[in-house]
Amino acid sequence: MAEPGPRPALVQHAHRARPGRSSAEPADAPEDSEFAKVYNEHSRAIFYLALRLLGDPQKAEDATHDVFLKAFRKMDQFRRESSWRTWLYRIAINHCRNLQQAWHQRHILSNVDDALWETTAARTDSPLRVLETKELGQRIQTTLDRLPAEYRLLLLLVADEQLSYEQIGALTEQTPDAVRGKLHRARKAFAVLFEKSA
Amino acid sequence: MKRQTQFNSQEQQQDAQQQQQEQQAQQSAALEFGSAEEMLRHDASRTPVPPGIWRRLRDSLAQLPAAHASWWRRLLGGS
Repeated sequence: MAEPGPRPALVQHAHRARPGRSSAEPADAPEDSEFAKVYNEHSRAIFYLALRLLGDPQKAEDATHDVFLKAFRKMDQFRRESSWRTWLYRIAINHCRNLQQAWHQRHILSNVDDALWETTAARTDSPLRVLETKELGQRIQTTLDRLPAEYRLLLLLVADEQLSYEQIGALTEQTPDAVRGKLHRARKAFAVLFEKSA
Repeated sequence: MKRQTQFNSQEQQQDAQQQQQEQQAQQSAALEFGSAEEMLRHDASRTPVPPGIWRRLRDSLAQLPAAHASWWRRLLGGS
């Protein structure tokens, strides 16, 4: 390992503009730096998780910045056997939890048991429908806000096809079988609440 | 000449009508998802990452002390 240099090379390169990049791509970083690659690959997932956990675009933006900064500062704790994705998710989940100190008291329905979903008549086997694309985000947020925190996180993680049940289990501190079991109930709860959000 | 003008006008009307129908169809077309995850996946795919995050991140990283330079090198693929 080389001795630490006075200035990270990335920052020296960082002021070169590059044309033709996507909106999520770092504006000025060299395309081939690992930093830029990690950010490009995972920033959307982290931002989306933060957005839906916190329910506020500005807070989500701040959180995403903080998560990546924290991740890079703690690089020495990063074990290569875990993926960047799960490492970043872990930091993001903890960060969002810290932001919401009253995580479990935030929503009235958070402590309601599953009986509520089980006894509510909802067409959970029917597809979820929404008429206007523009209303989709708002209805999703309303629905997630009313879900118990555990279900909310579970659904957001399961929606990421890059994560296995094993990884989701590790992130939520439970077995993959427990994830599968809770997922069923989480889907049902989401369907019930989504219908009501119309 | 007059016939040509009438023809053009008819064509324009048809175009406008078709456009209107397409717009109405788009507006009334329901999005349908098989599961909550599918819906969230769709929502995530159409949620852009604000470009300001990267700029702020770059500025923050530039202010990190030299003690962090070792992992910078790792990030940049150095040995």
